Amino acid sequence: MRYLIYAACVCLMAGPAAAQDFSVNIKKSIEGYIRPAADGFARAADDLAPAIDAVCRETTAETKAAFAQHYGDVVTTFAKISFLRYGPLLEDDRLNRLAFMPDPRGIAQRQIRKILADTDSTAIDASTLKDKSVAVQGLTALQLIAFDEDGQVVLGDPGEMRDFICGYTRAIAVNAAQVADEVAAAWDDPDGYSSELLMPGEKNDHVRTSKDAIEVIFNALVTGLIIVKDQDVLPALGKGPESAKAHRVPFSRSGNGLVYLASELKGIEDALRAAEFEPLLSEDFAWIPDSIYFEFANAQTLLADITPPIRQSLQDGGNYDRLKVLTLTINSLRDTMAGELAGALSLSGGFNALDGD
Amino acid sequence: MRWMATNRTAISRRALLAGLGGIAALCAGNFSAFAGGAGLIEENALDYPLFASARREADGSYGIAIIDDAGQELARVALPGRGHGIAVSPDGRRFIAFARRPGTFALLIDPFERTEPQVLTSIEGRHFYGHGCFSPDGRLVYAVENDYDAVRGVLGVYDVSGREVRRIGEIETGGIGPHDVLLAEGGKVLVVANGGIETHPSRPREKLNIDTMQPSVVFLDRESGDVLAKHSLAQDLHQLSLRHMAMDAQGKVWVGGQFEGDKSLTPPLVAHMTRDAGPKLSEIPPTLASGLQSYIGSVVANASGDVIATSAPRGGQVLFWAADTGAFLGADQVVDGCGLAPLDASGFLISDGTGGLRCVEDPQSLPEVLARPPGISWDNHMVAL
Repeated sequence: MRYLIYAACVCLMAGPAAAQDFSVNIKKSIEGYIRPAADGFARAADDLAPAIDAVCRETTAETKAAFAQHYGDVVTTFAKISFLRYGPLLEDDRLNRLAFMPDPRGIAQRQIRKILADTDSTAIDASTLKDKSVAVQGLTALQLIAFDEDGQVVLGDPGEMRDFICGYTRAIAVNAAQVADEVAAAWDDPDGYSSELLMPGEKNDHVRTSKDAIEVIFNALVTGLIIVKDQDVLPALGKGPESAKAHRVPFSRSGNGLVYLASELKGIEDALRAAEFEPLLSEDFAWIPDSIYFEFANAQTLLADITPPIRQSLQDGGNYDRLKVLTLTINSLRDTMAGELAGALSLSGGFNALDGD
Repeated sequence: MRWMATNRTAISRRALLAGLGGIAALCAGNFSAFAGGAGLIEENALDYPLFASARREADGSYGIAIIDDAGQELARVALPGRGHGIAVSPDGRRFIAFARRPGTFALLIDPFERTEPQVLTSIEGRHFYGHGCFSPDGRLVYAVENDYDAVRGVLGVYDVSGREVRRIGEIETGGIGPHDVLLAEGGKVLVVANGGIETHPSRPREKLNIDTMQPSVVFLDRESGDVLAKHSLAQDLHQLSLRHMAMDAQGKVWVGGQFEGDKSLTPPLVAHMTRDAGPKLSEIPPTLASGLQSYIGSVVANASGDVIATSAPRGGQVLFWAADTGAFLGADQVVDGCGLAPLDASGFLISDGTGGLRCVEDPQSLPEVLARPPGISWDNHMVAL
């Protein structure tokens, strides 16, 4: 029987032979990136409710613009933590409560419509909102209510629902700030989740070594890249420019689509830099980090060359192709991180790919 | 008794649809369906497409989750170790979840009734290989097992019709390392993929006979256990471990392989056959083949039986095949994608190790990420209930 024979593609798996200690990288990741990013998000989230109050007290172009600015700040800082899909963001379902994504079937929109139709009083109090559907209590819900499809702030606009919507959006903002504070506090707590990563084996049966702990941190970065490409960009590109759906870019309704993408990628890059893997790499692999950072810079350039908002500009000269190239850039980043860098550090990646059956 | 550690949580679809807040409550871990005298999921959930899969939870433990066609979680059952395949009863009301090899547990779960999951343990000298199937009347379960000291594969036959599961016999599979099993020819025939790889639990997951392995697909008379046909690949492909199978609308058996030979080679990985006709290999386009690391994870037919999907998790691809001609139809990139289940008439649900659940309507359409529960890693296989 004949079958094709290809030249061997030798994978770069020759990492350090001895069990590597990643304690320093874990500490640097937490102190150098995760805690500051969580604190930054919490600070931005704290400013949201006052901005909503200002719009609802006196609805002017200025108060609306200030709210839009604060909302953008929250989205930007949320993007910097949204890929930390472990520990505090998972406890109490916080990540889903902050942003219900993806939502291709429009579950949030349907549920919000019902809340508005019923003038559901449990939605206008943060203490009861937090027990409602995760789809109606976070930043994605706030965007659906406070902005129209053209990106204009409709919060505070006259109408019989004005006061209810003000109450509901305020409850979301208070709830989001509460969750953001919880995330930051959980990361700051020296006896909290960070201790499970910093002292592997003592508190968590499933994180027994510093390698296990750094894999939690590292693999989340790779998953973050997959999410940006598969979940945030590709649905917007559709099958071609004619069927592109710019509204599928997260947070594009509020005009924050491009900045959200850029912030996600910047966050992943900054988290990787903070881990400072460079000293662990032998000379043969010393090229890897710079190659990764070069690709991250390319990704930022592609996004910076698109004039926001993406809902209005996706079809403009070359922008569709820029996002298309962005997906290839992210592919390359993922391959280098999950392949070369993980290999050089002897880290284990894919669950099924690694050890299927 | 360690099985008592098995924990169950559940929410109703009605609660879910009324507000996904149920998920938050679920995560708080306060639901215990059986304690409350209810099933894992409501009877009316049968009105919707439901799916089940093994997975690794965010905290590193293992379980089974039942999800709906929007990718939202309806119920969860904790497992004492990593799971693998799930066999579903013909009426879709019960399923049995097997431990990943060389595990020794299986859970018989009746999600709609007020019954505790029944735990099966493999008998002395055996372990499960991770797959099984029900008899057409739902009374028996056939589980692929390793009789490791005798170095032979068997199908353990379990009577699951009574209050207690009983092992009532076994059938030799005619090979080593049986991995997947399915019913054929109206339930009269059992088809077993003998992966061909010898393993022993004293050396877990070590492969002991790579140089001499002889995988096969064997057609067995379900009643008598007689070998009706045994198909092997040509000798130059004797290191292609034949592992997972699906049946198309014409009754052809499709099998996906995992190559244990020279890593620089890109052998064919997908074949189809019948009892009377030996394997026909489908050619993977060379541009794709070189990236797949010669490894197929799941093999599943769509509901119409005209398209076969094969996942290649090491290559991050799902490949689609025309069941009638064996022609390659296309591929979707899914990083760490492995679990496949038929969705609607023509499509598939695809799960991956990064938590992603996506639907693809047909081989030409773009896959859509429906949900990505954070921290979850979906395991190799998914089934439609």
